[in-house]
Amino acid sequence: MGELFAVEATTAAIVLRSLVVSGLATLLAVLVGVPIGYAIARRQFRGRTLLLGLINTGLGMPPVVVGLVVWVLLVRSGPFGDLGLIYTPAAMVLAQFLLATPMVIGFTIASVQALSPRLADLLTVLGAGRVRTLWLMAMEARLGLLVAIMAAFGAIVSEVGASMIVGGNLERSTRVLTTAIVTETSRGEVERALALGLMLLGLSFSVNLTLTIIQQRARP
Amino acid sequence: MTDVLLENLRVERERRPVLNVELLVLRSRRTTAILGPNGSGKTTLLRAIAGLERLHSGRISFDGAASIDKRDLAYVFQEQVFLRQSVRRNLELGLRLRAVHNQQIRERVEEAARSIGIFHLLDRRADRLSGGEARRVNLARALCLRAPLVLLDEPLEGLDVQAYAHLMDELPRILDAFEATTLLVTHSRDEALRFADDLVVLVNGRIYAAGDKHEIATNPRFSEVSEALGYTILTVAGRRCAVPPNAFRVGAGQVQFLMQVEAIIDSVDAKEIVGRIDDVRVRVRLEDGQEAPTTGNRIAVYAPRLHELETSP
Repeated sequence: MGELFAVEATTAAIVLRSLVVSGLATLLAVLVGVPIGYAIARRQFRGRTLLLGLINTGLGMPPVVVGLVVWVLLVRSGPFGDLGLIYTPAAMVLAQFLLATPMVIGFTIASVQALSPRLADLLTVLGAGRVRTLWLMAMEARLGLLVAIMAAFGAIVSEVGASMIVGGNLERSTRVLTTAIVTETSRGEVERALALGLMLLGLSFSVNLTLTIIQQRARP
Repeated sequence: MTDVLLENLRVERERRPVLNVELLVLRSRRTTAILGPNGSGKTTLLRAIAGLERLHSGRISFDGAASIDKRDLAYVFQEQVFLRQSVRRNLELGLRLRAVHNQQIRERVEEAARSIGIFHLLDRRADRLSGGEARRVNLARALCLRAPLVLLDEPLEGLDVQAYAHLMDELPRILDAFEATTLLVTHSRDEALRFADDLVVLVNGRIYAAGDKHEIATNPRFSEVSEALGYTILTVAGRRCAVPPNAFRVGAGQVQFLMQVEAIIDSVDAKEIVGRIDDVRVRVRLEDGQEAPTTGNRIAVYAPRLHELETSP
């Protein structure tokens, strides 16, 4: 009986860790990606097309490659080894942040470009400062921006390669739903793996449902 | 109450000058109409004054200051751009950004909406209005700001006859009421002469005339100004002359022309002959009781008034 509770507690911790790690990575990606996407959408500059090409490549970046690069940077003997971040949830947040940011940038560009090019001029002459203009533009583009958040969270909560490499799948500190599924499957615990799979789908569904409710409520 | 002074102003796009203004003074509390053909730089001039254009050189000053507080500015764009919210929220936005008191916001929005005739639209979604409705909401949004400097870019374009007539009467009164310095961009001679105290004629980014409307409209010195004001330009005895709009009459007169009749337009309240004098297209109004000539014939027409043009600078 005690063992069963212990198992439940571990599973709950894994679900919570998945939510926190991917949620935090998404939040950081939004904070960084939305202003960058806005700037790219609004400005003309040399190398813009090249940058757009890079971002579009970033949309389909293999998580395992990103994980590998972050691992090379953070591993004890690597350039940022002294930070001691390798095999911690922070390293996983970093890797997932790198995966999510191009998505947020890409979706932001698309939704800002769909706005009238005169909207920013209008807000400026109405007396809105830079920050206020950015905020009002984001509110206008909110449908697209919420899609960006959903897509980014959905992608990183379900990736396994980067989390496995930089997190190390340590049972008590860095195991998340995806890496747990891999572990259970390799142990032959198929039923447990399937149960964890359902939990992952459930988590993804609840987060997306919440965002969808916000999106549809905000629908103009 | 704002004097606007533009000196040696130059705006370029892709390294080509689109605006080149040596000196222009917009006098305080007066309405200045900027008249010119499409692509002449009228909108660019307005945008430059609003601080939305990067100046290649030159300067703009407002009562001697190098820039204007955006809160002293009201700008009606040619395009109708709204937040995806109610008309009321859209009208309120500028006032909220100016930290106007809530009670006052409500009063000013409703007053502007009433005077422009859009009170019934206040609770509608601004991005789902018809073209004409959106035009009027666009105008009301700027007017409720009661700014000392008002920039209007073709504000009456695309309105239906009723709304147009209403605003042609109301707008000058509204603008007078808050003693703004107003700049109106238009390509309509009628609007320019109706609203403005002063006229500026802008062609290819350059000013060809600026000053009192009576002086410019009755004696345009250059062909560019004459054309913008609807004059017909003809060559008489080797000299370029301008005939005022609607001045041609059928029959014999002091300065007489032969006109090749191409069509007769019957618009019920008036009949007009469309044709050519040499290669210049001309319209002549038929007076009551005059017989319409046969298409293809040549008839005599005369201009009671015309004046000689100077060589353009």
